[in-house]
Amino acid sequence: MSLFIRNYKPNSLATVYNTKLWRLNSTTTDSALKKDEEEEEFRVLDILKKRERFQRRVVRRTDIQPDRADRMATDQNWGNVWPGPKTFHPSSVPLPLRQGYVPKGQAPPGKKANAELMKIPNFLHLTPPVVKSQCEAIKQFCTEWPSLLNSEEAIEKHYPVEVITSDYCHASPTIRNPLARIVTLRIKLSTLNLDKHSKDKFIRLVGDRYDSTTDLVTITADRCPARAQNLDYVNYLLTACYHEAWNVEEWEKDKTEDDMEYYDWNNNTSKKALVNWHLQTKNENRTLNDDEYKAFDTSEIPYAEEYKNAVSSWFNDGESDATVKNYGEVVRKLFGLPEKK
Amino acid sequence: MNSSIIKVAQSSFTTTGIIAKCSPVLASQLHTSAPLCRVVSGKYRITKKRDKPLTYEMANPPHYIAHRKSWNSWNTSTLQGGLRRSETALEDEFIRRFMTGTWHGLVCSEVIIKRQFNHIRVAAIIRRAVSPTKMYFLLGYTEELLANWLQCPVTLELQTVDSFKDVVFKYI
Repeated sequence: MSLFIRNYKPNSLATVYNTKLWRLNSTTTDSALKKDEEEEEFRVLDILKKRERFQRRVVRRTDIQPDRADRMATDQNWGNVWPGPKTFHPSSVPLPLRQGYVPKGQAPPGKKANAELMKIPNFLHLTPPVVKSQCEAIKQFCTEWPSLLNSEEAIEKHYPVEVITSDYCHASPTIRNPLARIVTLRIKLSTLNLDKHSKDKFIRLVGDRYDSTTDLVTITADRCPARAQNLDYVNYLLTACYHEAWNVEEWEKDKTEDDMEYYDWNNNTSKKALVNWHLQTKNENRTLNDDEYKAFDTSEIPYAEEYKNAVSSWFNDGESDATVKNYGEVVRKLFGLPEKK
Repeated sequence: MNSSIIKVAQSSFTTTGIIAKCSPVLASQLHTSAPLCRVVSGKYRITKKRDKPLTYEMANPPHYIAHRKSWNSWNTSTLQGGLRRSETALEDEFIRRFMTGTWHGLVCSEVIIKRQFNHIRVAAIIRRAVSPTKMYFLLGYTEELLANWLQCPVTLELQTVDSFKDVVFKYI
């Protein structure tokens, strides 16, 4: 009945529609409807359209489930509800969230149909209990840290070579990043088995890759496309430099005092002067050749070692107040002069 | 072959340049007026009846990005040293167009594209105007086709609303 009233309109189309309706109905209702139509002969002028307003009903759809969040138990396992990273979904999150900027005095938009909440990355899958349980789960794959490597010094001693590479995390279809190929190898020069000549040669070979303040040799390779190749290349470079440093070429014997990269007291005139002075004080009149001067053992001369260090540091570290003062003190000791007051 | 194409392109470029200089009609097609863009772009006019519906996204002009609203594309390509800048931008635009076309008249919000590793998450608010069966079909269809084209897993994470009125933030 109500259906009929709603659809009734005084034009031909509506009447056609109504007649069709009647045909579908059974005969008894058919007659009743006919009777009703006769009764409603005069239409009521409904200016305010009160009837329509009352009859408008909210259509509740049956295929839409109520929110999951409303039916959740308070002691549920949240990790099962939100197992992985996911865009925010209001009907699975039982939190009264609001997001958005509104003028003062108004409430921000709620969680439903709120695109702002969907935009921001959420960490609902990484709640502390979930993180804890996942850590527990991967514990079985972990091995214990070696007990002997308990300090930085121990690690440095047993593993002197340090290889530095970088991994890059990108939001792109490819996991490759060209910067990941770069390999840096670092090693302390003192850990290498080098003698005086080979150490000097090694430093000359690696050039500015050696840092004298930290004693570190840093070799970087980025010329090959893959990291493994660069790693091999870096290892090859270190090995090649090491063995080349031990080689003594024929022409290396031609090195003169002018070619020395540092001041060697034994090869210089300072030692000759000291030795001559020492021999004169002992009233020995000997003439020595260069090799004898170099091989002369100065340990019998008192304060010769300090004198040697003072002169070497003056030449190697440069002239400064400290080196000059040190030199002065050592010379006074050497000659047996009273100390400066 | 390539060089000939370049030559053709160059000649066409020079001719268009000349035409652009000569005729004001063609010249005005390239319209780069920065101040006008700043005033007009991304903003909506107030109607007389104040009945134009705006979503939250539309209600906040572009200079409020990162203040009142956030970005619609989330990826690492715009960071320093980021890879695939242009490709990412183009793919995002393609995904947006494909989404609005496939879910025709159903998308009530901006299409939000978030990339994590090689995974693309596409989020949107959809109107419940079609049956759930059709929605499931469209969901699988979109995911499958996009995954095929972009060669990486695509996940659609949709939220549904009854009507467009649910996403309306204000009327101007």
